[in-house]
Amino acid sequence: MTRWLGWLAALGLLAGLAMGFGYAPKDAVQGNVQRIMYVHVPSILTAYLAFALVLIASLGYLFTRRTGWDRLAHSAGEIGVVFTGLTLVSGSIWGKPTWGTWWTWDARLTSTAILFLIYVGYLLLRGMVDDQERGARYAAVVGILGAVNIPIVHFSVLWWRTLHQPPTILSPERAPVSASIGLALLVNGVAFALLFLYLLSKRLALRRLEEEIRA
Amino acid sequence: MPDHWGFVFAAYGIAAVVLFGYWRRLIRLHAELSALKARREVKR
Repeated sequence: MTRWLGWLAALGLLAGLAMGFGYAPKDAVQGNVQRIMYVHVPSILTAYLAFALVLIASLGYLFTRRTGWDRLAHSAGEIGVVFTGLTLVSGSIWGKPTWGTWWTWDARLTSTAILFLIYVGYLLLRGMVDDQERGARYAAVVGILGAVNIPIVHFSVLWWRTLHQPPTILSPERAPVSASIGLALLVNGVAFALLFLYLLSKRLALRRLEEEIRA
Repeated sequence: MPDHWGFVFAAYGIAAVVLFGYWRRLIRLHAELSALKARREVKR
């Protein structure tokens, strides 16, 4: 199953590259630099998915105290941090040629950086507490509180005046992109989601092995 | 506006390195822990 997911994700990423560079047209205003969007937007959507899973699994752990929920929250949290880091780096690289700066303390960028730091802290907290059960409990609380930041990140561009553009997808209004750009984005989004599921299954297996060795 | 291909390749390149590196790390740790577990079972 995991192997199949891996192959599906690899095929999806190849299709995403073909769509992003071959099918989707060059942006009329930004030129080819806009193609960074096919990495940037799927990365943050995958991070949202990961942190939403952390929220659900953390609630599950606090209610049931079953290790499986904690395993899921820990694994999804780690992968979410990777994708949020990727979002920040790709956004910064996109920002330089379009805005003239690598970074600005804009509401979207700042709230995303805070999201990243919250979940880095979430992972560090697990390593800092010796008692596994207590560490899992503390982490679950941080995982739940951290998820509050997800809607703040997403709607920051609507709630405040920002340099960052409004949401391209998951927008309250009709998506402001052409059908071909939207389709390329969709293919890349699905490919990143498959990659997330594959990495999650790998990370879950690793965490299970860690538990067996510790026992 | 100029195309800035260097920025495009930098973004895709970094994404590939990060994701491939993370995947390799998971595989390596899994192999190391599996070997450790097997050694412990042999000792028992």
